[in-house]
Amino acid sequence: MTGPVHHEHGGGGPRRSVWLRGSWVRALWVSAFMGIGAALIVMGIRDLTGRTPYSAGVVQTFIMLFGGIGFTIGIGCWDYWGSYVIGRPTPEHEDHSNHGAYSWKDYFKVNTDHKVIGVQYLVTTFIFFMIGGMLAEGMRAELATPGQQYFSPGTFNGLFSVHAALMIFLFVIPAFAGLGNFVIPIMIGAQDMAFPRLNALSFWMLPVAGMCMVSSFLVGAFDAGWTNYVPLAVHGPDGQTMWVMGVQFAGASSIATAVNFLVTIVTMRAPGMTFWRMPLLVWANLATSTLVVLGTPFIAGAQFQVLFDRIMHTHFYDPTHGGNVIAYQHIFWFYSHPAVYIMMLPGFGIISEVIAIHSRKPIFGYKLIAISTVAIGVLGFTVWAHHMFVSGMAPWLRIPMMFTTMAIAVPTGIKMFSWLATMWRGVIHLTTPMLFACGFLATFVVGGLSGIFLAVIPVDIATSDTYFVVAHIHYVLFGGSVFTIYAGIYHWFPKMTGKMYDEGLGKLHFWLTFVAFNATFMPMHWLGLQGMQRRIADYPSQFGTLNFFISIMAFILGASTLVFLYNMAYSWWRGETAPANPWRALTLEWQVTSPPPIFNFDEPPQIVGSPYAYGVPGARHAVVTVHAPPQPEEVPVPVALATATREEREAIMSALKHILVVANQTVSGDRLIAALRSRAATDPVRVTVICPQNDPGDAWVVDEQDVRAATQARLDGTLAALRRAGIEATGHVVERDPYTAVMDVVEEDPPSEIIVSTLPQTRSGWLRRDLIERLRDDTKLPVEHVVSDTPEMPRA
Amino acid sequence: MSAHAATADGHHHADGTVSAYHESLLRSPVFLGMVMFLGSEIMLFGSFFTIFFYIRFTHTAWPPEGIELPVEATGINTAILISSSFTMHWALVSIKRDQRFGLIVGLFLTLAMGLTFLSLQVHEYLNLGFTPSNNAFASGFFSLTGLHGMHVAVGATLLGIAFIRACRGHYSGAEHIGLEVTGLYWHFVDVVWILLYTVVYLL
Repeated sequence: MTGPVHHEHGGGGPRRSVWLRGSWVRALWVSAFMGIGAALIVMGIRDLTGRTPYSAGVVQTFIMLFGGIGFTIGIGCWDYWGSYVIGRPTPEHEDHSNHGAYSWKDYFKVNTDHKVIGVQYLVTTFIFFMIGGMLAEGMRAELATPGQQYFSPGTFNGLFSVHAALMIFLFVIPAFAGLGNFVIPIMIGAQDMAFPRLNALSFWMLPVAGMCMVSSFLVGAFDAGWTNYVPLAVHGPDGQTMWVMGVQFAGASSIATAVNFLVTIVTMRAPGMTFWRMPLLVWANLATSTLVVLGTPFIAGAQFQVLFDRIMHTHFYDPTHGGNVIAYQHIFWFYSHPAVYIMMLPGFGIISEVIAIHSRKPIFGYKLIAISTVAIGVLGFTVWAHHMFVSGMAPWLRIPMMFTTMAIAVPTGIKMFSWLATMWRGVIHLTTPMLFACGFLATFVVGGLSGIFLAVIPVDIATSDTYFVVAHIHYVLFGGSVFTIYAGIYHWFPKMTGKMYDEGLGKLHFWLTFVAFNATFMPMHWLGLQGMQRRIADYPSQFGTLNFFISIMAFILGASTLVFLYNMAYSWWRGETAPANPWRALTLEWQVTSPPPIFNFDEPPQIVGSPYAYGVPGARHAVVTVHAPPQPEEVPVPVALATATREEREAIMSALKHILVVANQTVSGDRLIAALRSRAATDPVRVTVICPQNDPGDAWVVDEQDVRAATQARLDGTLAALRRAGIEATGHVVERDPYTAVMDVVEEDPPSEIIVSTLPQTRSGWLRRDLIERLRDDTKLPVEHVVSDTPEMPRA
Repeated sequence: MSAHAATADGHHHADGTVSAYHESLLRSPVFLGMVMFLGSEIMLFGSFFTIFFYIRFTHTAWPPEGIELPVEATGINTAILISSSFTMHWALVSIKRDQRFGLIVGLFLTLAMGLTFLSLQVHEYLNLGFTPSNNAFASGFFSLTGLHGMHVAVGATLLGIAFIRACRGHYSGAEHIGLEVTGLYWHFVDVVWILLYTVVYLL
């Protein structure tokens, strides 16, 4: 790539050493330095104030907290803000360094492009999904037969605790954040999220949270269950502290993302995108983000209190010193019940998109679905104590909680019937995303119905802490959330990667998952009703047969994920190229190329109608203006030269004023073409355009073929535009640095003027190397400088 | 912190089509973002108030025996913090009228009062005669005041940055969103303290 690209790509100024610039190397040493440094300082203070210097809880807390923050600093999330605060010059707004992915390597760096962050989220969350899944398979191996096989009861406690924590905090919630990140800004016609740097920071807190949780196994596993009830949480092994810190990082990440989504949706909708024209996924995200902003601080508070009880020996939850144990459950569930909807509402949004698009019908009851989404969000805050029917809380509180819980079935039912009515008499295309959506409808109804069972006080008392509850949670979270995540990924995979997934493998994945899922979790209802207790490594031998069957099915369920991973990886690498709109959808993300351009839209789209008017003749959701891409096959031959004989040609050439244009990134810039046209209006001119490609000292060549092809396409577009304007123009891409390339032309075919077109000062490598001045000095020709800003970049 | 530099403004094309999005203060992304964030902060304080109330209403004697809070001294501290909200407002009003003097003096006074509040708070901690691990009341007291103190510290940091930038001639009548947001945060910290003082010290 050339100078300007290099600059845009790698950030301004001379490149600093890998130890100092934002990188994994810096992330590791800053993380270690800050974590260990903070621990040493704390130990020093403890020593000075006459306490034992080493306290495992305190030291772990500080290592996790400052090590985690250090990681985000080291990787580069804070570089811009750091410069701003200490008053160093910050890159101009127009500087888009670290924005957009030009090679696979860019996915491993801090990036402010919502599309890159979306993919980063999804890949990261699937890594944790795999880890969490392995923990579950470990449990199923232990439970395959009665008695103790592979794990001690303590380790088993760690397995299910970390399994749940990873699946909730590191998979379902952030996976929806990832899908939302990719899709929502495009859906509302925005060019990015409202706070792109905050968005990047949100993502990079996730690996920290995951590391805290996974590494809790190293210091005595976190084993109080994901609900982390006191007093187990306070008196448990050191892993509890690690887990608490993990939740804090995941929570901070969630809140930051939610604020970002809310601001984006409120302030950045394209003209005409009224609230009643927003796709339902956007509505779902609006409700979810509100829940996150208002709910997540409560789990942060509860876990801070647990942490203080552990390391500062406070007595929030210690009845012997005036504390209260039940209070923990209230505070915890006041977040964690809304969290259930945080894990479900975005899924509802995805299903609304998928079902309408793949049934080719307008969504049934658009407004009711949107309103019921908000209603679920509001009602979600009024039901928390239904998790505590057997906790010993005030008995009268059960009654209102039972009613509010059952009331939630109403808005959920509205959605369910709306989806069915949408499919009714639709032209249903059973693609993989649609299969997962249908699978979701079936399994989620089962989960919803067992939820009504559990809302009823006497049934709940009888089935508390049995496998009936395990079955219920997996029907709503796996059959519900995970199915919708799969549906969403298959649905938007062509948009994200520009490749089609393999439909056959997708269907195989669906059927394996669907059958194995039901075979795994359906029998758990029976086990629960017969009294098999959850969260225990052993069980009475009468449950043996069914458990063995469940374990086998659970292994098949796990294996089905491999089909998915293979399909995704292989299709991204070698899949067929995807068209811009393979589903013939109306929403905005399908009106741009696959994958979308770096800034999504050339111009803010104008929204003119409903996003779901499928099958309505002439209906449009939006008018999207796409600046015509240069089309090489339409390049007209030079106007007069084409039919000229050799003598005529020489005569023409000598009569025309020769202008040499040097440009690369900006060769298709409007200003450049305008400058040439204004010259052609006064003098007869011929133009030679050269695009120097080779740039000494530039280590950023990503994919030379692609870059060269993109440059050629831009050049062809410009030549075509000039020829249409009646200007004689020839041009070529040259494998030289700009200075040598110009000097070559000057020697062979002396021009009367040189025009150099570059990006603005801050981003142009040519300008930094004083190209203009050098050309003026060495050619003695008039050199005109045209500044263009062409944000659209070729994707590697 | 310096969120305004991180808005999407930077990502819009140079054709200016997007400026129409920002019609009011509440549609300004940074201001709205701060409002949302403060919603989150209210809930964080809410979780600590919840546990505090829980402890309180399960006690018969309140405050528990042997615990006495310096209500009057903290009352003076409260007055200092409330005054700082007014000076903050003065600074903001001044810059809106392009009066740099009011901006700088207002910010300085706000910052000074914030730091005074913090140091008096630390002084109070050292002379209370009980620690967080004495009993549940003490845990609740220290966590609420400590959480608030941390917010004052963050607010003071933001004010410090704003002050330095103001001295360097940044901000103008047209562009002062950074101050607007800092001010909002500072008022929030103030309002929370009034609630906290009432609940913890007075009631």
